[in-house]
Amino acid sequence: MSTEHEGAPTAARLRRLEEAVIEAGLTSDDELDSILEDFLANAKPINGARLIARAWVDDGFRRRLLSDAASAVEEMALPSLSVLRAVENTRHVHNVVVCTLCSCYPVGLLGPSPSWYKSEAYRSRVVREPRAVLAEFGFELDPGVEIRVWDATAEERYLVVPRRPAGTQALGESELAALVTRAGMIGTAAV
Amino acid sequence: MSDAAAPSHLAPGATVRCRAQDPSRHNRAPRYVQGRVGEVVELRRSQPLPGESLGGGGPAELTPVYAVRFAAAELWGAGDHSVTLDLWEHYLEEAGNPGAEENP
Amino acid sequence: MRDNASVRPHDVGGMGGFGPVSPDEPDEAFHADWEARVFALNVALRRRDTYSSDEFRDAIERMPPDAYLASSYYERWMRAMTTLLIEKGVLAGDPGADE
Repeated sequence: MSTEHEGAPTAARLRRLEEAVIEAGLTSDDELDSILEDFLANAKPINGARLIARAWVDDGFRRRLLSDAASAVEEMALPSLSVLRAVENTRHVHNVVVCTLCSCYPVGLLGPSPSWYKSEAYRSRVVREPRAVLAEFGFELDPGVEIRVWDATAEERYLVVPRRPAGTQALGESELAALVTRAGMIGTAAV
Repeated sequence: MSDAAAPSHLAPGATVRCRAQDPSRHNRAPRYVQGRVGEVVELRRSQPLPGESLGGGGPAELTPVYAVRFAAAELWGAGDHSVTLDLWEHYLEEAGNPGAEENP
Repeated sequence: MRDNASVRPHDVGGMGGFGPVSPDEPDEAFHADWEARVFALNVALRRRDTYSSDEFRDAIERMPPDAYLASSYYERWMRAMTTLLIEKGVLAGDPGADE
């Protein structure tokens, strides 16, 4: 982590807050550093991508992922998440995830959330005009496809299982995982 | 409203209305769904009711939560998509039939 | 200040006026070092049950709406954290307020 922003007013304010909290005995610089290191090392979209790839090649796993996602995550020894719900895209149904109230999502499986996901623009509009929002991502859905928007208002975190792209029968699991993007697992891309 | 108290168990397929919430208290029922009628899709596990533990009241009781699906036309008057939210039983009341909403 | 609590500016589902989504914004976790530190500070305080997620969300939601909309995501966190720590007596006042 660079320290070049330390001179900015907000950074200075934060540093004073940190120092006050440290002085109150509630944390230490070492603890804060290690929290960040752990987070950046462990919370990545490849985790979610590996779940998706496994579901694509193994139908039993796919069914377990859809019926009890938390157990499926444990099977693959990925960052655990007790309240995960995987929702599957099909020819007829496309899923999109949002948290209109604050921007929760499964960080351990997708990595830190993108700015657009946290923005008022996304949070306000995707529940009302999802097709138009997806088009802003360059993603056009056939008019006949039903869109289901999931708003994570309680503890449940949602993970979209994209459709396996055509022409990938010869690919192994890790190659398949490399095709899966964070946007695909949120629902703003096809995969 | 005596008969409209939230039942202890709602089954998938039940038609429900999200009740209006006191805006001065923390809750997790977005305004866009308050007063709207939807269908229970799934049961989620029970979770503490948001806002109950604030102001030193002690931890909130676990309350059933349901995934409830609302049609876009119901929410916005237009659109062919649906929005599914996780709502605490405390926020919900059974609604007779989907067309019978009373606007608050 | 309970008037602000009725506004709850975070509840934006379906609201208009926010413009298009910008999918191409820089994709890193934190745009500045201080954002990462805010994130880490929140984790540390939550670990110690200094406040609950309910209290944290409520503190963000009680923010004056103009402050909420003018603040970035992690600025809101920082304000909420500061508010809670003062209310809980961990801090005597806003450590950032002496400018």
